Amino acid sequence: MSGWLTGKRACIEGDSPAIRSALEAAGAGLVDGGDRDIWVHVAPPPAVKAAHEITHAEWRASLDTGLDRRFLGAKDFAEQCRARGRGGAILFVGAPEQALGTDQAAAAGALGNLTKTLGVEWARDGVRVNSILTRDTGDTLGHLAAYLVSDYAAYVTGAVMGIALDD
Amino acid sequence: MGLAMAKAFAQGGAKVAVMGRSLERARDGAAEIAALGVPVHAMSCDVRLPEAVAAAFDEAEEALGPVGLLANNAGANFPVLAENISANAWAAVTRIAIDGTFLCSAEFARRRIARGEGGAIVVNSAQYIWTGFPGDAHSAAAKTAQATMTKKLAADWAPHGIRVNAVAAGFFPHADSVSGRRDEGIEPLQGMIPAGRTGSIWEFGWLSAMTCTPLFGGMTGQVIVQDGGESLRRSLIMPDFIPPRERADGPWGWQ
Repeated sequence: MSGWLTGKRACIEGDSPAIRSALEAAGAGLVDGGDRDIWVHVAPPPAVKAAHEITHAEWRASLDTGLDRRFLGAKDFAEQCRARGRGGAILFVGAPEQALGTDQAAAAGALGNLTKTLGVEWARDGVRVNSILTRDTGDTLGHLAAYLVSDYAAYVTGAVMGIALDD
Repeated sequence: MGLAMAKAFAQGGAKVAVMGRSLERARDGAAEIAALGVPVHAMSCDVRLPEAVAAAFDEAEEALGPVGLLANNAGANFPVLAENISANAWAAVTRIAIDGTFLCSAEFARRRIARGEGGAIVVNSAQYIWTGFPGDAHSAAAKTAQATMTKKLAADWAPHGIRVNAVAAGFFPHADSVSGRRDEGIEPLQGMIPAGRTGSIWEFGWLSAMTCTPLFGGMTGQVIVQDGGESLRRSLIMPDFIPPRERADGPWGWQ
């Protein structure tokens, strides 16, 4: 995958050492803001609690990170792509829909269908949108992410996938 | 599409055994793969017959050594009204894809397990497995069976280090595409796809082969859709529904 992302500027929001190192190894320049060709959003897994024990603040925090921030960030990124007349790649990374609590089930379910919707809505702008919903944090996650944001995956958009068996 | 997979495996350095119903066509494909500089072996096999599948694996192993990766591509589809699908046509399409994928995968797995080694399998499925495909009922059933089977095979063989994944492929025109027959070619079809184009066959080959590499060594039981958004809904407004038997250009609405 060496050189797959040469010349691309990638912004990774959230923490994933595997994705960070895989994108760098593929030649991407990591940036915090400004012009970007790639936007990856990694949401940390919310704590697992029974639905009746989740406080409203916890619920909101999960939905803010797992859904709202992702939509708003994607909207900004796509707008920037349109303004400069070039495509881009968005990748959402998080836990599987049914792996944790109800907050995660709601956020990840919404995110899945949002991925499909934005993938189509922005397809002709050359902006691709995909999601990896997994518990995996290792090398496969990094490599899969690097593939999905590269031009080798130019025909993959609106796709939601896992990695491990129980994803 | 199998040739595209085979070429991508060859680009990654794999030795490739090409299996087809017709030995002549397998040899044609093998010649193209050999041009990439890897050892190739062509052979014929009817994947619906377990004895034939076992014999083909024997032949491949004799020619190239133990088989560590498997691509299940055998399948067929063509526009036909459901009421016109004969029992023979139904059996041909479903058994090549469903039985063939099962028999080849099981033969592969038994050999890997006996050797105490893992492996990887990729299955060529289709983007219409979630929606149905009016005008192609046999393939709609067959391609979904391949995808649902992929998940269960992955679970059964995870303890043995054998990974199984599928690509739910969109429209990748190639020399034998059913839709390549229209006079005006594929260009009028590109507009129907959100990405604005049909897929390039090598894109399909690359992703298929990638799932079998150690780069994706943690991935199993996944069905990855690669269709430029084709299978996704475009709008709440849909064109008027015309039953497949009333469509001017045949059961698919285009040729």
